[in-house]
Amino acid sequence: MTEMIGFADFFLDRFGIFLSALFVFIGVMSFIYALSTVREKGHRLELYIMLLLIVGSGVGVALTNNLLIMFIFWELSTLAIWRTVGYYREQDKIDASSFTFLINFAAAAVMLVGLIMLYLDNGTFNFFEITVFNNTAVIFILIGILAKSVTIPMHVWLVPAYNAVPSAIGGSLAGIAENLGVVLFLRLFTNGNYFDPTFFTTVAWIAVASSIIMGGAALLSNNLRTLLAYSTISQVGFILLGFAVGGQFGVAGGMLYILAHALAKSGLFYGVGMIEDATGKDDLSGLCCLLKVSPTLGVLMALLFGSIVGFFPMIGFWAKLWVIVSAVEYTAALGIGAIIAAVFTLLYNARFYHELFFAKQLTRLPKAKRPGYAGLTIVFILALVSLLLGIFFYLPHTYITGSGGY
Amino acid sequence: MQSMELYGLELYYWVLLLPIACGLLGFLINKLRSYFDFLAFVGTLYFAVHIFVRTRTEVVSEVIGTIAGIDFRIFLDGMAGFILLFIAIFAFLIWLYSLRSMSRVPRERVYYLYLTLTLSAANGVVVAGNLVFLLIFWNVLVFSLYGLFQVSRTGMDSSHAARKAVTIIGVSDYVLMLGIVLLFVQIGNVNFPVEHKILFTSPWLTASFILMLVGGLAKLGTMPLHTWIPESAKVVPASTLAFIPGSLDKLLGVYFLFRISYHIFDISSFMPLRILLMVIGAVTIVVMAIAALLQKDAQRLLAFSTVSQAGYMVLGLGTGMPIAIAGALFHMLNNTLFKSILFLSTGAVESRTKTTELDALGGLGAKMPFTLFSFFVAALAISGVPPLNGFFSKWMIYQGLIEMGNEFSLWFIFLICAMFGSILTLAYSMKLVHAVFLGERAKKFNKVREARFELVVPSFLFAVACIVFGIFARELPLGQLIIPSLSFPVGEIGFWIPGLATILIIVGLIIGLVIFLLGTAARPRTSSVFVGGEVLGDEEGRMTGDNFYSSLRSFGMLDKTLNFSEGGAFDFYNYLRGAAAGFAAVFKNVINRLVVVMYQSIGKLIRSLGTLTSFLHTGELYNYVGWVFIGGIVILLLLVF
Repeated sequence: MTEMIGFADFFLDRFGIFLSALFVFIGVMSFIYALSTVREKGHRLELYIMLLLIVGSGVGVALTNNLLIMFIFWELSTLAIWRTVGYYREQDKIDASSFTFLINFAAAAVMLVGLIMLYLDNGTFNFFEITVFNNTAVIFILIGILAKSVTIPMHVWLVPAYNAVPSAIGGSLAGIAENLGVVLFLRLFTNGNYFDPTFFTTVAWIAVASSIIMGGAALLSNNLRTLLAYSTISQVGFILLGFAVGGQFGVAGGMLYILAHALAKSGLFYGVGMIEDATGKDDLSGLCCLLKVSPTLGVLMALLFGSIVGFFPMIGFWAKLWVIVSAVEYTAALGIGAIIAAVFTLLYNARFYHELFFAKQLTRLPKAKRPGYAGLTIVFILALVSLLLGIFFYLPHTYITGSGGY
Repeated sequence: MQSMELYGLELYYWVLLLPIACGLLGFLINKLRSYFDFLAFVGTLYFAVHIFVRTRTEVVSEVIGTIAGIDFRIFLDGMAGFILLFIAIFAFLIWLYSLRSMSRVPRERVYYLYLTLTLSAANGVVVAGNLVFLLIFWNVLVFSLYGLFQVSRTGMDSSHAARKAVTIIGVSDYVLMLGIVLLFVQIGNVNFPVEHKILFTSPWLTASFILMLVGGLAKLGTMPLHTWIPESAKVVPASTLAFIPGSLDKLLGVYFLFRISYHIFDISSFMPLRILLMVIGAVTIVVMAIAALLQKDAQRLLAFSTVSQAGYMVLGLGTGMPIAIAGALFHMLNNTLFKSILFLSTGAVESRTKTTELDALGGLGAKMPFTLFSFFVAALAISGVPPLNGFFSKWMIYQGLIEMGNEFSLWFIFLICAMFGSILTLAYSMKLVHAVFLGERAKKFNKVREARFELVVPSFLFAVACIVFGIFARELPLGQLIIPSLSFPVGEIGFWIPGLATILIIVGLIIGLVIFLLGTAARPRTSSVFVGGEVLGDEEGRMTGDNFYSSLRSFGMLDKTLNFSEGGAFDFYNYLRGAAAGFAAVFKNVINRLVVVMYQSIGKLIRSLGTLTSFLHTGELYNYVGWVFIGGIVILLLLVF
């Protein structure tokens, strides 16, 4: 048996660099947005420290090749999520943060058992050298992955968490913390050492089911943040689907999807945060016609919604196309499932956008301030990056696929 | 494979990039917008003419990049050049029309941005020579459609129509995407035209063709994916209607169907698919024409009519006979011409009268002679009255159906449907002409003048094109545009000789006119209206055209069926939304609820365990000593055994 942890247990590959660059970018955006919007004085320092922890743990998970180090960063991020969700010290938010922490922690504990079983079988924590996979260990680790990367049936913590978290951190939550699970999946199971078609088929179907079911739930939700939460669960399903079916298109598609979803969802989170700040409402039934209040925000959010739905000039199009190609390559039925999930995505996003920015069902407009320029700038940058990456998508694509090895 | 450079950039880059670049600049620099837009539309027309001329003699095929095994390939043949040219012509004339009709409406800036974006994307669809590459531009069209439909007529809210359009087109785009991906996975890179046409040898190939067909039919707007067109007709300005559902979607839809049916697959080898296409076409023709007959709003009537005409194109493509395919393409061209006239002229009328309700209009012919002329020509052409262009293209489709008799014994059903549809078309066109331009004029319209120059000129040019394309059908549109762009020979076209027929018709008309002037017109019968002693004003006695054929409603179950369909009973969109909401309710309230309840019960279980153990903590010293004692014994026993 080799040592469990060494200082040299970090490595740089294209996936790691790509992911850590993305995480740091999302983190910086989150930080600037937090600076400009979190007015409350009291314990603001805590917020920034926790934000740094989220970004740092994301980078750590992306760059290590040691499962134990990965687990430590994993738990750090759980800790940071727990603190940020309960940042506003109101009872319901504290409850939400405890709930979040409990589920994440319990799943991580189960995962740790699985990791230790792998260690005992293989004598190493380095996931390149792990070749013996015990079925029980795999299932235990999968539970941890599903909980962190909110997928049915471990997704329940996300709705209360999104409802409680400050919108500045919400972007990082959507863009960084929720990707840790799929990153572990990519590192441990897709690196060529594990062959079990039943496992991958099962995970692919879980991902598709999660995507469809939560797309349906999003279609019926009225609360802005609940809707975003369901949407996130639905989109993470696509990432997991890409990684699970693998192949040339699957892995690249999953990576592109992480990129597209992180950019778009954090932008949407800030947009929703600005809408809440401007109108004081957090429910679709009380909101309408916001295009009159801020056309700029309307256009930017249209681009971000377009990226989530997968319309061409946005990077989301390529991500979705690649994942669907990989799914159809695997089995046509899986591809049909992915298309149904995509249709749900279109339906709930069309409804969301329509009711926010158009829909004249209210007799008078809600009172609204204009959103601040700092927030608008952040959303603008995120939308612009999504757009440019969509047009010049061969840049990230070439970078990802040049990585070899996988 | 020759280079097509002009001014330092390949021609296809010009038509792709110029419109959107100018559109963006115009959007940002509002003061110079009209100059940029001029550059965009005139420039695109210029380059499209160049491409058209070049593609008469040469074929351009160039791979501009390969990513993940997908060729991003440009392919320009005669067909593409022809479609590109007409897209540019229509865009240019629509822009000319919009200059007046859309000036100073709210969101005017956005309108032009999306117009240019639509133009770029449409050019992209035609330029692309690979299905995945084509899918990109196809996708942009959804985006631009949503934006364009948000620009409503003054005082109306078009956001619901926009959402409906984007949902139907978006969903069908996903279906198309699945079809393309399915084909890609089976046979690899799908560059078209393929060298050896794909035959329907496996069910998966058939499935991918049908999925792609759905995408093309939704774009073309045939039943049952048409419902966004009538929905938008009342709230979207005439220029948008004439551009998107009226002309552009027909061009692109037929282009795409033609490519997949004859350049990638070969449906003439597979009878069931041909019958499927023909059934869709025939049903669309008849049902939508009946629906058009009973409309009370001019734009809505035209919307149903445009769906009905799309049926002819699908019918023609479905026959698999070269002559009918050429006829379908010709009908596509003709339909874009006369449907643009009808939409734009209705818009011109609306610019003066502020309404398109047939009930309110009437008798405007004397006031708006130029509009009447174009409108009348278009109405005759759409009904297939010789010698106009609509007659000739329908004739070719009929001939194809008759030729099909050798292979398929039930061909006459389709022929009857097509001819019956033609009669219905004549009926609703005449209703429209009568209701808007003939009959008695309402008093408030006595001061109406001819519409502005910019609003009349595009329709007038189109009307001239309708006449020319009809009389010189063999020489001009067929000989120069359509037959050279087909990759197969088209047999002899019937015994119809347009030139001679025109002369005979003109002679006939003159004789008729002479008889009319000598006979009836000299002795009109006048009588005064008497109703219960009340003196009726002009307004009360006014006959409007909107009740033409309303007796049809009492025909069998037609009335109920129509009321049903007005209520959205046959609307694919409603079914889609209903099904989605139903499934979503199950997902959210049953499955998601179950998972949440599972977690809650785990929580309750833990809590009750805690409550149980809390009974052990009584706070009395003797109890604790007792527990320690019992525990010690248990440990001792464990150690011993």
